[in-house]
Amino acid sequence: MTTPATAPPALDVRGVTVRFAGLLALDDVSFTVAPGTVHAVIGPNGAGKSTCFNVLSGLYRPTAGSVRLGAAELTRLAPHRIAALGVARTFQNIVTTQGTVADNLMLGRHALSHAGFAASALRLPRAVREQREHLAKAREIAELTGLGAHFDSPVALLSYGDRKRVELARALCLEPRVLLLDEPVAGMNAAERIRMTEVVREIRAELGLSVVLVEHDMGLVMRLADEVTVLDFGRAIAHGTPGEVRRDPEVLRAYLGTTTGEDAA
Amino acid sequence: MSDLRPLLLRRGPLLLTALLLCALPFYLDAFWLRIGLFSMAAAIGAVGLGLLSGTAGQLSLGHAFFLAVGAYGYVWLAGEPGPGLPPAVAAVLAVLLAGAAGGLFSPVAGRVKGIYLGVATLALVFLGHHVLLTADSVTGGFNGRSVPPLELGGFTFAESDPELTVLGVPFGAEERLWYLGLVLFAVTWFTARGLLRGRPGRALVALRDSETAASVMGVHVARYRSTAFVVSSMYAGLAGVLLALSFRRVVPDYFSLALSVDYLAMIVIGGLGSVAGATAGAVFVTALPLLMTRYADQLPLVAAPGSGGGSIGPTEASRYLYGAAIVLILLFAPDGLHGLARRTRARLRRRPSVTGPPGSGPSPAPGRAGSDAASDTTARAKEHTP
Repeated sequence: MTTPATAPPALDVRGVTVRFAGLLALDDVSFTVAPGTVHAVIGPNGAGKSTCFNVLSGLYRPTAGSVRLGAAELTRLAPHRIAALGVARTFQNIVTTQGTVADNLMLGRHALSHAGFAASALRLPRAVREQREHLAKAREIAELTGLGAHFDSPVALLSYGDRKRVELARALCLEPRVLLLDEPVAGMNAAERIRMTEVVREIRAELGLSVVLVEHDMGLVMRLADEVTVLDFGRAIAHGTPGEVRRDPEVLRAYLGTTTGEDAA
Repeated sequence: MSDLRPLLLRRGPLLLTALLLCALPFYLDAFWLRIGLFSMAAAIGAVGLGLLSGTAGQLSLGHAFFLAVGAYGYVWLAGEPGPGLPPAVAAVLAVLLAGAAGGLFSPVAGRVKGIYLGVATLALVFLGHHVLLTADSVTGGFNGRSVPPLELGGFTFAESDPELTVLGVPFGAEERLWYLGLVLFAVTWFTARGLLRGRPGRALVALRDSETAASVMGVHVARYRSTAFVVSSMYAGLAGVLLALSFRRVVPDYFSLALSVDYLAMIVIGGLGSVAGATAGAVFVTALPLLMTRYADQLPLVAAPGSGGGSIGPTEASRYLYGAAIVLILLFAPDGLHGLARRTRARLRRRPSVTGPPGSGPSPAPGRAGSDAASDTTARAKEHTP
């Protein structure tokens, strides 16, 4: 896998508001993911973290606000166009497609390959060659994420942790500049968590991409994140380094349900 | 040299089948050849529908309409009244015409999903049938039109012109059309497998399994849905041309909703998402009524055609039979004949040598898309446990 020659552009979220009928899911949320950093978005259940991801990947159109990747405005683009710009994501509940690990990873290469219906139907030499090249890349990425041994196994037969990893590998196959990870270690056991943390750390060091991370596992967030944004009821209530955020009274209130007044009592 | 042996081993069964199919006209009479021809035409159409409904998950009840566009398109383009084009050109144009008809429907086909598309395409069948009955000057109305034989560089696919005897066997229309059908079916097989195993196939499978995942991985949802519809229509058009040539007369009543349902039965029986499965299903659904008609007098409970008197005719009987086949398949082999064959093969292979990791067979199962349905559901049930 080639390291991108240039650092990824900054991902700039400005005043994003999402309203579902009467419910305000995101309220004027702003944060910036600096190039090449790991930015965690944390918050209690229902705080709007997944909604935020759905806006970033183009599945939801915000009521107001903008999301910019470098010069490109993402809120006006369809999901497949955002993918083509190098934004890849994983899902909180695993969403794989039928077939082998290879099939899933090759789907990740979709935006980077070109063979259309006619070229594939007629098996034109360039389509065959393209498929072979991308299959080699996919295998490389499978090795990188520790899926090498399962490359030709059906995804349905893999363990939960491995299927989570298939999602990560598929997202990496897009050769993203920005990687959105929605709860990458949710439901994993301790050993799997440590492995996943290692993998994320490795790919970031090796590929120099920006990572936006939604996660409940505070241990993982504290170890991986350079910067943290805390959401509560759709509002961004705190920003800062993991250390700063951990001491923020607003954050403690949101997580532990105590108010500063009650604390004093 | 070292590459040749495994290649031969891998391609062996395919080559053998092809050889066998080429030899058949020397041994079978016209009745059997006609069954084969109809089966080949149906297989081409079923592969097209399998691509749309099996792989992309888009239900279509309008397949009969596109078959009709292909059949009538050819008859009109090559015939009188009509432009009277050379038949070969007319055949190609008829396929393109069916594709264009699918393209006209693409604003709907690109946006509407799954079963809703099925309902939308239902309208096409009735519209098509009405047009076939009323546009007399083009379609010949209720009585239909006779089909001009195909002609390729002075060679006519009919009884004579030129007279032809090969190895002592007189080559009539059926024998000649048989080879045409084989070629067209081979083209279908080759292209459809290329599609399914290539980038478009994976994108369509992803669309079926999760539209969200497909779109965030860069698949243009509407474009892939509508292209799948167009490609499926073109296969239907090709099947229509071959059907017209085999029937030698096209009539509107053939292209009814029942025909669309027959095609759905083919892909369900064969196994969704697989080319080989669609072919097997097509042969089963096509050949069964013809065979039952032929052997009606020897079968219990089935009356000879035309005897009437409240008993079950061969056509109805065969419908009951394949209805029962669908129920059995859905209950015991939801992945169809293709899945059944694959699992049997895997079991046979496992018996002699117990070692070897699962899913590492020497060759990837053809049309993987439709496979593993059963194991999938069991594995997926565990997904949400914390």
